[in-house]
Amino acid sequence: MSPQQVAVIGTGQTVFKKHHDDKTYAELVQDATLAALADAKMTPDEIDAVVFSMAPTEFAGIHDIEKWSVDSIFGAGKPLMRVHTGGATGGSALHAGYTHVASGLFRNVLVVGADRVAETPDAQHILNLIWDRFYEFDFALNTVTMTALSTQRQMARYGTTEEQFAQVVVRARANALKNPNAHLKGKITIGDVMNSPAVAWPYKLFDCCPRSSGGAAMVLTTLDGAREKCANPAFVNGIGATSSTVFQGDKTGPKADVEYADLAELEIAGKEAFAQAGITNPMKEIQVAELYDPFSSMQFPQLESLGFCGRGEAPALSDAGAFDLGSDLTVSPSGGSLCTNPIGVTGLVRAIEAANQVMQRAGDMQVSGVRNAVATAIGGSAQFYTASVFGADHL
Amino acid sequence: MANEKTQASDVISGEWNVRYNYSVGKVAGTFFDALKERKILATKSSKSGMSYLPPRAYCERSFEPCDEWIEAGHEGVIEAATIVSAAFEHLPPPPYAIAYVRLDGVDTAMINFVRDLDMSDVGAAMDKLKPGTRVKVEFIDDPKGEVTDFHYVL
Amino acid sequence: MAPRYQENDAYILGVTLHEAKPRVTDKRLEEMVYDTAKEALDAVGINRRALDHVTIAACDELDGRSISSMLLAAPAGAYLKDEIKATDSGLTGLCLEATRIRSGRFHLGLLVSWNKSSIAPFEDVMRMRCEPFYTRPIGLNMSITDGLFAAAMQGADEAQASKVAASYGQAAAKNPRGVASDPVAAGAIAASPYVSTPLREGHRPPVTDGAVAMVVVSGAWLNDHPDATPMARLSGIGWSLESYQLGADRLASMQGLKTAFSDAMEDAGLSNAGDLDVIEIEAQTAFHDIATRQALALPADQTVSPSGGPFAQNPYFCAGLISAAEAVLQVAGQAGPVQAGRVKTAAAIGFHGFAHQGNVTAIFEEIPA
Repeated sequence: MSPQQVAVIGTGQTVFKKHHDDKTYAELVQDATLAALADAKMTPDEIDAVVFSMAPTEFAGIHDIEKWSVDSIFGAGKPLMRVHTGGATGGSALHAGYTHVASGLFRNVLVVGADRVAETPDAQHILNLIWDRFYEFDFALNTVTMTALSTQRQMARYGTTEEQFAQVVVRARANALKNPNAHLKGKITIGDVMNSPAVAWPYKLFDCCPRSSGGAAMVLTTLDGAREKCANPAFVNGIGATSSTVFQGDKTGPKADVEYADLAELEIAGKEAFAQAGITNPMKEIQVAELYDPFSSMQFPQLESLGFCGRGEAPALSDAGAFDLGSDLTVSPSGGSLCTNPIGVTGLVRAIEAANQVMQRAGDMQVSGVRNAVATAIGGSAQFYTASVFGADHL
Repeated sequence: MANEKTQASDVISGEWNVRYNYSVGKVAGTFFDALKERKILATKSSKSGMSYLPPRAYCERSFEPCDEWIEAGHEGVIEAATIVSAAFEHLPPPPYAIAYVRLDGVDTAMINFVRDLDMSDVGAAMDKLKPGTRVKVEFIDDPKGEVTDFHYVL
Repeated sequence: MAPRYQENDAYILGVTLHEAKPRVTDKRLEEMVYDTAKEALDAVGINRRALDHVTIAACDELDGRSISSMLLAAPAGAYLKDEIKATDSGLTGLCLEATRIRSGRFHLGLLVSWNKSSIAPFEDVMRMRCEPFYTRPIGLNMSITDGLFAAAMQGADEAQASKVAASYGQAAAKNPRGVASDPVAAGAIAASPYVSTPLREGHRPPVTDGAVAMVVVSGAWLNDHPDATPMARLSGIGWSLESYQLGADRLASMQGLKTAFSDAMEDAGLSNAGDLDVIEIEAQTAFHDIATRQALALPADQTVSPSGGPFAQNPYFCAGLISAAEAVLQVAGQAGPVQAGRVKTAAAIGFHGFAHQGNVTAIFEEIPA
């Protein structure tokens, strides 16, 4: 028996910036909820269940912050649960929302969350604390250095250059000019990226994402629900996810199951999502990829792991403009996570941007002829991966 | 001033200091004690044949307990490295180098600092830390039973 | 021949509890989790590689690490598996797991939850659940909000609570899966110091260390594996989160409990609480038991918490999932010294958040012969 269809019929985001000086966290999730409900043409009463997307609550400084937020999102008295897979949380929240609907238990499900990463000046200190107190804490591992390490390895394996990564940043910031919600945006050059302050080799400041605050929400429903409310919903046709080891050193050497430099776990998640969605030739059948890329070097291995091209081929394709706006595969037309990273919902924002493309609601970012879009999310020490395929046609 | 209205953009400050007590558990004690004797011990699963640094009580792949200890060599190969140039709160003052090194005889790589490296030219220093480069383990004079008892040198 | 099991239903193939101890001092948290997950798989003869998903439920702050699933996903069996972590409670993990199995996408999974209370300062973690504007300057935590709850309840008095706590202690003493204990008499409980009036120390159990794992399968998987012997069918599940506010009505009305319970009952096709042979209540205080009986109008002769509930063991975060495990054991006839006779249906009622803000009910049905 094939699973029930699940469709996205509405999305909402706040503007993302470093601080929302005049709003509380509860007000941010409310703004996102109201926007998504309006987009879905629904009233709060029509929501049957809520999945809350939020990663470490230490950034916002209130534990189990969804418990405080429940009233502001019209969730009191409803089934509500929160999920948390680090940076992949938004992707996992979408997947949990999907099973809420596909199970037949609920018809209309709200997936919502927010983050305020810069609420505390100690964000990287918190991210240092994710490492094992016994074995790793002392070595200044944080999200920047851990990704720098795998990037150095990627460069050695494939000959990718810092300039090629810089081109990714240039493209992302330019795309973001058309995104009213993006945190960072602008016309910059490869030289601007190369001359920005060194952080951890090979990363300079511009290779890294900002610390963003803001909220995002999405409304999911059944096939019948979509027919009632929405002329062109985005059907959630494929979901795949893989969790890996926390020990990055296990991903090196002859006995590695998955190669550290390749973000190879995404091969597993991607294969599953594409198989469900009936995608056999990603480059031909998918027009938009919204990738989770808080660092400039993360696009290439993801594109390769998803099978858009062979290993080591993405940088040259990128240089040739194969991933530019309006090409066969537009990568992160929203500017991606490089431009906006509200950790607890970043994965949800990727999904929203992908779904909006399929629903023809991407505004100035709209790519023409989008039949399928894929969104990814990554969390932990490049450990948790989600891949989600949205289609204009249901299965 | 007393009569000024509180604005939406004003802030309330808060802080949370938490202390934790983590049990040493099944394997960490043996590992830390061995460091005091300048030995680096890895755990191994006889079922899968995988050996692990950092040591752990079970093999994630076979899902069987690690039932052996082996001694790692004091030389190994760099799998990934970086030099940190930015200052982060509560982390060492830059610049410093860290690397995942797979020590001889062990299947997995373990992170530690790379010391005694001239980092005045970061690019040149990174050239010396390419994946595949062999490094040596060096212990401090007075090991205390912590991972910082040793580091890597070229 | 018609298939024996309903394809998209969720069945519990096995449950495993970690040894219950006040403090687990000789293992790291992930070693506790590995031991529990490994035993759960071994007990039903399933190789980890066969799993198509893992659901975990845990709390970063109680685990003492941000993104604690980084360290704990693989010990819970999730290496290269589709894994999601629920954060509200162990029993909420079962809610998520139920949606995954019933979606038809997943067929063989491991559900794991834990609490090593010895790691983190428990009540200080609870205190940080206060929003900073109105409640944190006053200072609320679990003890205090439960005190407010106890005070707000109509029709409950301290003497009654002391008797209820005593009876939970007596049941707990008989439960081989709990921490070994001597039951405390109602008089001694009534004389124990106040924590937050009218809640006394003896009205609630201490927080202990523990973990629980369940192997959960779909009916389709069972139809493909005719030699498998499931313990119970998850016949109904419901959950509800109440308002964050702590006014008298919110504290005393138990509306969230009523909603979760009636949703689960409807899901299970049951209409009368009396239809349930056993109800395991995650009574974090004796007042939770009294309020639940009142709110659900349970018949006086209902069999409630034969396991002793959290008074047997209370790894707080997963205590509700342990109540569910005890309910499964009852339905499967494997509850040992605390078996309440022939049990066809058993429910587990769990709470989370300040003063039962979160509520979950799970109902299990025996497997017909």
